[in-house]
Amino acid sequence: MSLAPGNSNRSIDITDDAIREVVLEAMRNANEARDAASQLAIAADAPIFGPDSPLDSLGLVGLLMDIEEGLQGIGCDVVLSDERAVSQKRSPFRSVQSLVAYVGAIARE
Amino acid sequence: MPGRHVLITGTSRGIGEALAEHHLAAGDCVVGCGRSKSALTHERYLHFQIDVTDAAAVQAMFRDLKKRTKTLDVLINNAGVASMNAVALTPVDTARRVMETNFIAAFSFTREAVRMMRGSAAARIVNLSTVAVPLRLEGEAVYAASKSALETFTRVAARELAPFGITCNAVGPCPIKTKLTAGVPDDKIQRIIDQQAVRRWAVPADVVNVIEFFLRPESSMITGQVVYLGGVS
Repeated sequence: MSLAPGNSNRSIDITDDAIREVVLEAMRNANEARDAASQLAIAADAPIFGPDSPLDSLGLVGLLMDIEEGLQGIGCDVVLSDERAVSQKRSPFRSVQSLVAYVGAIARE
Repeated sequence: MPGRHVLITGTSRGIGEALAEHHLAAGDCVVGCGRSKSALTHERYLHFQIDVTDAAAVQAMFRDLKKRTKTLDVLINNAGVASMNAVALTPVDTARRVMETNFIAAFSFTREAVRMMRGSAAARIVNLSTVAVPLRLEGEAVYAASKSALETFTRVAARELAPFGITCNAVGPCPIKTKLTAGVPDDKIQRIIDQQAVRRWAVPADVVNVIEFFLRPESSMITGQVVYLGGVS
């Protein structure tokens, strides 16, 4: 039976470092499916979405799903792409730095 | 392609129960859900007793499911409610409940399921519509409108999900003898059947047949389609 219950792995303390590691890990995973010419830069100050990034809107959807899932894995259950994210003058998805700050803010609400 | 992980909403009775039995017989692992307990007992069947319109319960169900399996291959949004009433007499709360069950619930299951489907070799979403949409049946405005929303959702989701290797289609049954049609007067059912090319009741196996076509690995080019039973178009 492959539907047997597994173990949950939840963490209570969510630090910016933990969030950043989830974001970077999701970007590393995304790179595995991307060709050499369109790799995402993996760094704490790297762009994610916008003119300086090769990521298109579809790629962003996939990346945000992976990040949400990764955050769930560390006990942080958040919805990244809601009205607040879309309505901000500067997109929180523009860089690793801005996304980590955004996740941290909504996680601590 | 047995051994798939199949999630079906509304498996407590009717078409959903028949679909669950079909997939279990085919060797799939089936996850079902519904407001009632399920009469199905099978080592490859797991039932969640939830209200599909309860977003928090749906999310909790998926959290539980993710602990049990990493991958989902098939989602069948079957759960539905009907409302046969004149537009001028339908309570607003009834319209809201029908829309919540027939459209919003299908959306929320799809939203959660796609996250688990990206690892599947042949990911498939199938939504249950109805011939009430193309036939524009009087007395079924709210029900048909909710399924119409689901059909448009199916077509747009097909485009968005194609890059992830997920197809999204719908099947629109003509009348089938289930609890949903039990309350509809015979003459009204007959008027629907008279508008079909094939003038008879359908059976759950007719729905299973269309869904199996959508689920075949060879059907990876079939997406955004709505297939009606009985020759209705």
